[in-house]
Amino acid sequence: MENVAIRATGLAKAYGEKQALHPLDLTINSGEIFGLLGHNGAGKTTTVNLLTTLLEPSAGSLEVAGFDGSRQASDLRRAIGYLPENVQFYDNLSTMENLHFFARLSGIVKPESRIREVLKYLNFTGHDNERLGSFSKGMRQRVGIAQAILHQPKVLFLDEPTSGLDPVGVRELRDVIVSLNRDLGMTIFMNTHLLAEVSKTCTSIGVLRQGQLVYHDTLNSTLLSFPSEESLEEIYLQIDTAKTT
Amino acid sequence: MSIVLIAARQEIKSLRREKLAQALLIVFVGMVSLSSFIGWLTKKNVTAIWQKVKYQGLTTAPNPFANVPDLYYLRNTVIYLVLIGALLAIVLGVASILRDRKAHTADLILTRPIDSRSYLLGKLMGIGLWLTTILGFVTLISWMSIALIIGKALAFGDSLHLVAFFAMSLIFLLGFVLLGMICALYSSRETNALLLPISLWSIITFVLPQLGTADHPVSLLNPVPAIANQGGAFSILNSVFSPLSTTEQFKKASSSILGNPDFIGSPTVGITVLALALMVGTFVLLTSKRDRLRRTLDE
Repeated sequence: MENVAIRATGLAKAYGEKQALHPLDLTINSGEIFGLLGHNGAGKTTTVNLLTTLLEPSAGSLEVAGFDGSRQASDLRRAIGYLPENVQFYDNLSTMENLHFFARLSGIVKPESRIREVLKYLNFTGHDNERLGSFSKGMRQRVGIAQAILHQPKVLFLDEPTSGLDPVGVRELRDVIVSLNRDLGMTIFMNTHLLAEVSKTCTSIGVLRQGQLVYHDTLNSTLLSFPSEESLEEIYLQIDTAKTT
Repeated sequence: MSIVLIAARQEIKSLRREKLAQALLIVFVGMVSLSSFIGWLTKKNVTAIWQKVKYQGLTTAPNPFANVPDLYYLRNTVIYLVLIGALLAIVLGVASILRDRKAHTADLILTRPIDSRSYLLGKLMGIGLWLTTILGFVTLISWMSIALIIGKALAFGDSLHLVAFFAMSLIFLLGFVLLGMICALYSSRETNALLLPISLWSIITFVLPQLGTADHPVSLLNPVPAIANQGGAFSILNSVFSPLSTTEQFKKASSSILGNPDFIGSPTVGITVLALALMVGTFVLLTSKRDRLRRTLDE
C-alpha cells in the first residue's frame, strides 16, 4: 500500500454534457516513470490537471503521495512538482528571479543555495541573471524542470515535456527525466504523444482514448504481449484500433 | 514569508519592468509635477489681466486670486488623477492578472500549497505599495513646488490636507486597479480585458454624472464637481447615479480637502463612497473562483 504514488478511483470530469474523462481507475507505484499516451484531445491534460488538483473532479477520488486530493490538497501540492505544456514564465524576469518566486511559493525559506544546486544538477549554469524573454524553448524547459523539482517533490507531473523541442533538446530532457527518477527516486507521470520518448524513458504506459483509459501495463509486459509488432508505434496503433473497432 | 508578501514582492518586481506601465507612470508623474506650475502660470496671467483691466477702470471687482488658498495650485492634479491616474491603475490591474493567464504561470502557482485568495490579495497589495511610492513622490514634488510658488513653506494644516488628499487618491486609484483585475479575471479575450474596464471608466467618469447634470462631457474634465441640474427628473437621477460615479465623488471630496472656494461641503460622503467601492471590489476579487486565474485566453 505504501508503495503507491498515484491512485485514482473512479476519477471523472465532465463539462456539462461533455465527458472529458470517463471514470478512471489507475494505480502507479512509487519509482515508476509512467507515460500516458493518447491523441490530441484524448483527455491527457485533463487527467494531469485533476491529479495536480488544478481541476475539481466531477466524480471519484484521487490520492497522490499518500495525500487525499480533496481533504489534503495542500499537503498533496507540497508533494508534487508540475511542468505544464507551453508554460512561458515571466519573460521580463531573470532565471534566478523566476525560480526565487516559485521556491518561495513552495515554502523554501532560503532559496538561493537550493536554486544554484538544482541548476547545477540540470547542467544549466551561467544563465542566472539572464531574462527568460531571450531563452529558447529548450532553455525554458530547463527552467521549468528546475521550478518543478526545487522543493524535492515525490511525484513529478510533466505535460508534453518535449513538445516543440529540437532533437538535441528532446534527448537532453529525456536524460534529465531518467536521472531524476534514478538519482532522486521521483515518480514521474508524463503525458505525451511521442512514442519514441516513451520507449526510451517510461517503465509503464497507459493509453487514453476519448477520455477512457483503454490500456495500462508495464513497458516490458507490453513489449512481450505484442511479440509480432516491431515497434511501440505498431503496438500503440494496434491497441488503439482494437478498442476503436 | 507569507504568500501575500511573496506575491506583493513579485508584483512590484514585474511592474518595475513593464513598459506600458512605465510609460503611463512617466506621463502621470510628469503631468502632476507640472500641475502646480500650470496653476502658478494661470494665477500670474489672470492677475496681470485683472491689473490691466482695473487700471483702465473697467472693473471694480477684486482680484479673483486674492483669496485663493495655497492648495489651489493642486486643482489640476485632481483631473490628472481622474484621467491618467485611473487609466494607469486599470492598466496595472489588467496586466497583473493577464501576466499569469498569458504565460500559463497560473498553473504553476495553483499547484503550490497556497491559497489563491492570498495570492490575489498579494498582487493587489503589491500594486498598492507601488502606487503609494508614486503618490508619496508626487506629494513631495507638490509640496515643494507650492512652497516655491508661494515663497514659503506650506502651513502644517495645509501639509496635512495635502497628505490626506493623496491618501484619498490612493483609495480612489485602488478602486480602478480592482476594476482592471476583475475584468481581466472574467474576460475570455485579452482585448476585452482592457476595453471593458476602460469603457466602464468612461461611463463612471462621463455618462453617470451627465445623467443628473446634463453637463457637456468636456465640462466634466473640470476639476470642480458637476452641479446637479435643478429639474425634477435631473435631481432624482443625480441622487441615484451620483454616488455611483466614483470620479465625481473623488472630485467633490478633493475640492473639500483642498479648500476649493467653488465647492462647499464635507468630504465624508465622497470618501465613504470610495472606501465602499474598494471594499466591494476586494470582495469580488477574493471570492472569484481560482479557476478564473488559469483560464486560457481565446486569442
